[in-house]
Amino acid sequence: MSRDKKIAVGMSIYFLVCTVAMIWPGAVVANRIEPIILGLPFLFFWYVAWVFMVFVGTLVLYRLEYGEKK
Amino acid sequence: MQDWWIVTAITVTYLVVVLVIGLRARDQDSSTLEGYVAGNRNIGLFILFFIMGAEIFSAFAFLGGPGWTYGKGAPGFYILAYLGLGLLPWWVLGPKAARLGRKYGYLTQADLMSDRFSSRTLSAIIAVVSVGAFIPYLTVQITGAGLLFEYSTDGNVPFWLGALAAFLIVTIYVYASGLRGIGWTNVVQGIIMVIVAWLIGLAVANRFYGGVGDMFRQIQAEAPEYLTLPGVDGLGWAAFSSAILVSSIGFTMWPHLFMKSYGADSDKSIKKTIVIYPLYGYLLIPVFIIGFAGILVLEDSPLSNPDDVLPELVVNVANFSPWLVGVMLSGALAAAMSTGSNLAHTASTVLVRDLFVAVFKRDMPEKDVVRLTRVFVVVLSVLAYGLALLNPASLVDLLLGAYGAVVQFFPLIVAVFFWKRATTAGAYAGLVSGSLVTVLFTFFMAPPFEIHAGIWGLVVNTVLLVGVSLVTRPMAADHVERFVEGSKAPVADVAVGATRTGPATR
Repeated sequence: MSRDKKIAVGMSIYFLVCTVAMIWPGAVVANRIEPIILGLPFLFFWYVAWVFMVFVGTLVLYRLEYGEKK
Repeated sequence: MQDWWIVTAITVTYLVVVLVIGLRARDQDSSTLEGYVAGNRNIGLFILFFIMGAEIFSAFAFLGGPGWTYGKGAPGFYILAYLGLGLLPWWVLGPKAARLGRKYGYLTQADLMSDRFSSRTLSAIIAVVSVGAFIPYLTVQITGAGLLFEYSTDGNVPFWLGALAAFLIVTIYVYASGLRGIGWTNVVQGIIMVIVAWLIGLAVANRFYGGVGDMFRQIQAEAPEYLTLPGVDGLGWAAFSSAILVSSIGFTMWPHLFMKSYGADSDKSIKKTIVIYPLYGYLLIPVFIIGFAGILVLEDSPLSNPDDVLPELVVNVANFSPWLVGVMLSGALAAAMSTGSNLAHTASTVLVRDLFVAVFKRDMPEKDVVRLTRVFVVVLSVLAYGLALLNPASLVDLLLGAYGAVVQFFPLIVAVFFWKRATTAGAYAGLVSGSLVTVLFTFFMAPPFEIHAGIWGLVVNTVLLVGVSLVTRPMAADHVERFVEGSKAPVADVAVGATRTGPATR
């Protein structure tokens, strides 16, 4: 498998995980109030955290695509 | 000085600043269609980010967003989820759209699809659906601006005047400066929105509960059902999950977002925007907090319209200083105006180029097209303002129905870039059936298994697109190659202007 292919497959799986974490059945495990983190109920924090994970994923993907050309 | 004077003075100052910035962005380039619509394709990252960010956060962020968490609680998180996910398809589709746009001079979504499927009627259908979605959407922004003005000044600035002031300014700078005017004003408006949202979010939690953590502790003790799914009178898992999926898929199909790819200067700018974008979604955290704050504060006298929760708390209940109210009003207006300016700009472009020019008057000189596009910026704004004054109840239904149809562009766009076998008949079958199914389950009967109507539409759309394409004659190989292979080269490899021949069907 070429490097580009590997990146594409790997990142697709990563973003699929992020998506499933925010819908059924992924979000079911987070459907509670405790523990309260950063002042937010757990489910609220869960969404804030996964949006951050999406950001991290796109940042990594960006570095993989453009990083070595510098 | 009376309070409402201070509020008005701050807001008017803000409006004047926006107007000046919007007019200063004007340059000679906006006299060509390409300059006016795509900013001559060299809009950099900084502006592109704010253009996309500020247009997505509309009046909805300050009214509807808190309305969700106040009225239902946790189901509101679906908005956060789809804002996080919504731009991901754009990583693949955006650069491809930009490459083909540069190569063949596309300026709209319909340019691309009608060229690939060799059908001007398709262009007209897309134009009608898009404008059908835009006018109610624009009307909602104008209504939001008017209501916020009225609320914040205790009715001293009436609805019609507040709405008129905000959108007169939008119309002026969009008319004069096109996409560049939108770009620079969106930068300012985007920054103001973010600061204001966090400022009032934290201020509200502090005023009523002594802090965000304490607020949620109290809600946990008195009304815990708001903090988890399905919330109060909210969404089941199937409805919640499918709403996230359909919104994420449909997100980039909005013509005003899709067309921004044609203004991007490179693949890199597009992808950088996508990287930073999810963080922009964090603007919703403070407005969600305001919505949650309303649950206990307004327990004894619940609002008949949950969308009023933010202005009600900030203006009437919290007794903040008029300075803070003025800043809040400016921030919320920024959200309504930045989205409104994009909508007016895109809607007039689509209407003139995809409907009027493509179908009725294909030999119109470019200068006249630009002039006509500008005229339609004014016509559509006046129309939307008139609708805002009449405030017909069916507006939200129209928006919902049109959005359901906009989502149905998705399978066609994917086929344009990836599937050479797709045919004109298949495209029609998919788009029409998908839209009809969506409308059916949105308005006339409950969707099966509580799964969002748009998902059913997408399923039927895809099945018919594939099925009908396979039983009809394939389109010419060299024609479809242009789209599938042609969209693969990076943007920088395509010399600007050098290979531009214009869409083949024109």
